[in-house]
Amino acid sequence: MAEENDSFQMTRRAVIATATFVPLAALTAAAQTPATALSPAEIRTLEAFVDRLVPQDELGPGAVECGAANYIDRALADALSAEKGGFVQNLANVETLARSTHGSAFADLSPEVRDELLTSMEKGSAAGFPGARQFFGRVRRLTLEGMFGDPYYGGNRNFAGWDLIKYPGPRLATTLADQSMKTPAKPYRKSAYGPGEIPNVR
Amino acid sequence: MSVNLKAVDVVVIGLGAAGGVAVLPLARAGLKVVGIEAGTWMDPHKFKPDEIYNNVRGLVTSVPKAKHEIPTFRTSVDQPARQGGNAPMMNAIGGTSIHYHAQSWRYSEWDFKVRSESIRRYGPNSIPKGTSIEDWPLTYHDLEPYYDLIEYEVGVSGRAGNIMGKLDPRGNVYEAPRRRGFPMPPLRDTDFTDMMMASAKKIGWKPFRGPAAINSETYHNRPGCVFHGYCDRGGCHISAKNSTMVTTIPEAVKTKNLTIADLAQVTRIVSDSKGKVTGVTYIKGGTEYFQPAKVVLLASYTYENSRLLLLSKSKAYPNGLSNNHGQVGKHYFGHWDSQAGAGVSALFPFDLNIWYGAIAQNVTVDEWADDNFDHSGLGFIGGASIQVNTEKHPIGAASMNTYGHAPQWGSKWKSFVRENAGRWVSSYVQSNTFPYENTFLDLDPEVKDPLGDPVCRVTSGPKESEPRQALYAVNKMEEWFKATGAVDVVASRNFRGPGLSTHAFGGTRMGNNPDTNVVDQWGFSHEAPNFGVLGASIIGTAGARNPTLTVQALAWRTAEHLIKNWKSIA
Repeated sequence: MAEENDSFQMTRRAVIATATFVPLAALTAAAQTPATALSPAEIRTLEAFVDRLVPQDELGPGAVECGAANYIDRALADALSAEKGGFVQNLANVETLARSTHGSAFADLSPEVRDELLTSMEKGSAAGFPGARQFFGRVRRLTLEGMFGDPYYGGNRNFAGWDLIKYPGPRLATTLADQSMKTPAKPYRKSAYGPGEIPNVR
Repeated sequence: MSVNLKAVDVVVIGLGAAGGVAVLPLARAGLKVVGIEAGTWMDPHKFKPDEIYNNVRGLVTSVPKAKHEIPTFRTSVDQPARQGGNAPMMNAIGGTSIHYHAQSWRYSEWDFKVRSESIRRYGPNSIPKGTSIEDWPLTYHDLEPYYDLIEYEVGVSGRAGNIMGKLDPRGNVYEAPRRRGFPMPPLRDTDFTDMMMASAKKIGWKPFRGPAAINSETYHNRPGCVFHGYCDRGGCHISAKNSTMVTTIPEAVKTKNLTIADLAQVTRIVSDSKGKVTGVTYIKGGTEYFQPAKVVLLASYTYENSRLLLLSKSKAYPNGLSNNHGQVGKHYFGHWDSQAGAGVSALFPFDLNIWYGAIAQNVTVDEWADDNFDHSGLGFIGGASIQVNTEKHPIGAASMNTYGHAPQWGSKWKSFVRENAGRWVSSYVQSNTFPYENTFLDLDPEVKDPLGDPVCRVTSGPKESEPRQALYAVNKMEEWFKATGAVDVVASRNFRGPGLSTHAFGGTRMGNNPDTNVVDQWGFSHEAPNFGVLGASIIGTAGARNPTLTVQALAWRTAEHLIKNWKSIA
């Protein structure tokens, strides 16, 4: 809302002269080579985080393998650019927490210790980490988007998220049989935008 | 200096669900109409089955102008108001009818006379304290011809339950009598809708398939729905959803009597010293225009209708257009004002396969809505319709409640959602909703839009009746789910409280008394004779169902009244 506050200072006439409407198409035109927002070190922390939210196990790929961190990285460079600064600060807070409690980088901690720290964040009891609870909730939410959203946005790699929950995929049209409770629709592993993920610059 | 345009017969401000309907009869009658719309045409090829695009990022719905005009909100006059949430408004040719669920209900006969009927049946103390409920200035039977007209002109699918008093248990036997059936059968039955129908019947209720402004078969040369499951907050990629974008507006354009000024933002409605409106000013491409007109019809969203009137001050209307009785902004209410969060979700021991479909592919029960049951001793009037729907998106499905069976993350969570993401369903509880003295709209003293005009401020205090109504209906919904074989049911009884609403009503209420209402039964101002208002902002009490069809029937009626009385009004 910062732009709005600035514009309050402008005169009505000046604003009229500059007011333009951005066509929806301009907002939807995703870059062909998606930009990213996080450094390799920040990605490492984030992956160590989302890896515990949805681990790889006998049920299949976890959040990391699905590209959830990749989804978040792209989103922070694009639709969520306004929250990039806070997000990066919070990742730094995770590192500070890991170092102050265990003297190690978060990503180098064992799964059990990472779970312990994440639990303290989830409960809001992580020492010296204000807003830990909100950040935990935000990462969890974005991880779900990255696991179960369209692969076009860089997550849900190989449709593993959709396969996990047995979502049969976005078809442009469905038959009555596709809505049957007895014989569910067969998986249709396609993005709404074509075959799958748009590759990263990285 | 603004550019003066050539005078026209009628200006319609906003080409959404209401204005988009009214332009058709006006243009057909040969009146020269200019529709001024802040958005423009949307391209159906850009509507995608994409949850991130539609639901997570709101890229169909949250367009730039509306985003800058989100009302502020507070729950009492002592509090600061804060801007927040997603904009319920939308700027596009077709407006919110592009992305709505297209549930197209008629209101019940009771909805038009809540006050007199409640007093007659339960006594004067039954009227909830603090409300300003009045009977509508027209009855259901006055509006019935227009409901019928819209159902056929726009296209509504459904099955009649009451044709001129002859009841058909396959439809809604609680509906008010209609002159004939729907032009199309209901959206297709599925295993899930069959299951929910059967269980409701088992406990003695009368479930039915709800009406939808979605083609169930080819209608007016547009195809039937293909149920791909991205109707909510998305546009229809095959134009089977009967938005005014693909129905009445293109028809009106064909007459050559409708000119659309798109990407144009109306800033003021102008009136002369005698109190007649003379036209509107709008900004397009950085230039300010004055569009003179013999008649102006205001058809933006509920919040914007009141805001534009309050901003349009003049010698004749020092407190805002048509506000010399101080009624603009009063009698406002949102459908979920006191019941937000009222809901029930259920977990079943088998896959429901409700991924595909449409919200409007629903099963509804009206037993507990309106005055369909005896309220003696219950402490409230009205009730709620309860409904289950198809159309579940994967992120939403995985964001499920774990019903106390699993943590929120980790391997146990993963195993839980694998099993259960496709086995749960939520419900849709919609209350009859009433105006209260503690709930109103005005201009925010601090927050302004990019033009420097204050945004609308919502003040919404506590309500007496609606939380009790919602609670009653929540219990019934729980009963229905249990009768269907749900293993776990979670009912939210700690209502989240009020907020901005996609079903917002009032602010320019319609009624016979000019001291308590802004417009008369025809939608025309009690003060400015050549000025009318379209939309839910004229509705004084809300039915227990989605308002759009009623809004559209009223809009057509206003247009027809204008045509018949052109000489005296213009």
